Amino acid sequence: MTKMAGLFRPKKLDLSGFVNTRLIRDNNKRMAFEQTEPERQALRYMIRNTSLPGRVRAQAQLQLSQMHAYTRPTQIKNRCVASGTARSVFRDFRINRYQFRMQALAGELPGVKKASW
Amino acid sequence: MFSYTSRSLIGVSKCLWKAPVPFRSLSSPTQPTPPEQEKTPVQDPTPTRTPVTPAEAAPVAPTPAATPIATPTATPATAPASTAPVASTEAEPVTEPSVKEWSERLGAFEDSRLPRSVQAIYLRPLRRKAEYGLPVCDLQLRSYSVRNVEFFADFAIRAAYYLNLPVSGPVPLPRIVERWTVPRSNFVHKKSQENFERITLRRLVQIKDGNPQAVQAWLAFLRKHAFYGVGMKANVWEHDSLDAGKAMDASVAEVEEALRPELARFGQRKDNSAPGTIFDTLNSERFAERKRL
Repeated sequence: MTKMAGLFRPKKLDLSGFVNTRLIRDNNKRMAFEQTEPERQALRYMIRNTSLPGRVRAQAQLQLSQMHAYTRPTQIKNRCVASGTARSVFRDFRINRYQFRMQALAGELPGVKKASW
Repeated sequence: MFSYTSRSLIGVSKCLWKAPVPFRSLSSPTQPTPPEQEKTPVQDPTPTRTPVTPAEAAPVAPTPAATPIATPTATPATAPASTAPVASTEAEPVTEPSVKEWSERLGAFEDSRLPRSVQAIYLRPLRRKAEYGLPVCDLQLRSYSVRNVEFFADFAIRAAYYLNLPVSGPVPLPRIVERWTVPRSNFVHKKSQENFERITLRRLVQIKDGNPQAVQAWLAFLRKHAFYGVGMKANVWEHDSLDAGKAMDASVAEVEEALRPELARFGQRKDNSAPGTIFDTLNSERFAERKRL
């Protein structure tokens, strides 16, 4: 499995900014999913299509299950682009709650102010 | 359908350049309304929506008015910085109130005054009157700051006037308030949290029954002079006559002509034609073998 994961790793680091092993891994997963998405969808379609012969459908099931784990969309997890954390990442800013607070207080996020009501 | 569908873009731009000329020739000192257009709105002496700071700051400055011994030398000081070089050349009589209305001040000096187009900046934006009121383009401006969005909406309206486009707005749309609450530190200290918010302000500027080309020119002009911190979104509607099907039928010949070079590439190669029908191929041994795999 780990050997196969190398297939999806680009030869050169194609990330900039904050870089982390886990960030790179997540990026690899995203790339792998992007590349194999049509194939996955085709197999999924074949599995669900009742008009196809059972043998074909079973083969498609096998093929889909034998695809690499990195090609699954469920492997993708949003990570903070400023710190690499995977928890409480805001979708709007793609950063962690702590980074969000720091950057908001520093005025680096346009329009974000301290609220009181 | 429109009143000026036949007018080309060049004609509009010509009109833009022509506009200031009759102001100068027909100008009367006390009438700041440009006499060139017949249906201009009544000029409000106090500019409500001009974001230019001197215009709003000047009526507030009460220094010479408070003192009855205001000398003529003190009077021009109330004029904004931009008008000061022109205004200071002449002295006013002592009997007049030292702070005058904007309309009077701008037209007070006949031989030396700002051009009408510059004076218009201090007044409310001029507007064309819509003949049919058919909406053609919705422009939505968004920003996090009131100043920016107000300024740019004003700019857009003025630009539309000179492009001969009837405009309505700016309509203040509901603000978009986004709030986030984050713990100040670790999870253990969940009781101490902090609130942040981002308020997006929106303004809607609507163009009514304008020439589509002029609308495009207006949008391009606004994009060219885009203001910092202001986002723009435009919905443009095109209107056609009721017999759209006829127009499409008429344009078939044109479309076919345009497609001819593309369609000429399609077809079967002459050297590739196999003998027999498609069923021969399907029933052949080779094809069947392929299918089995």
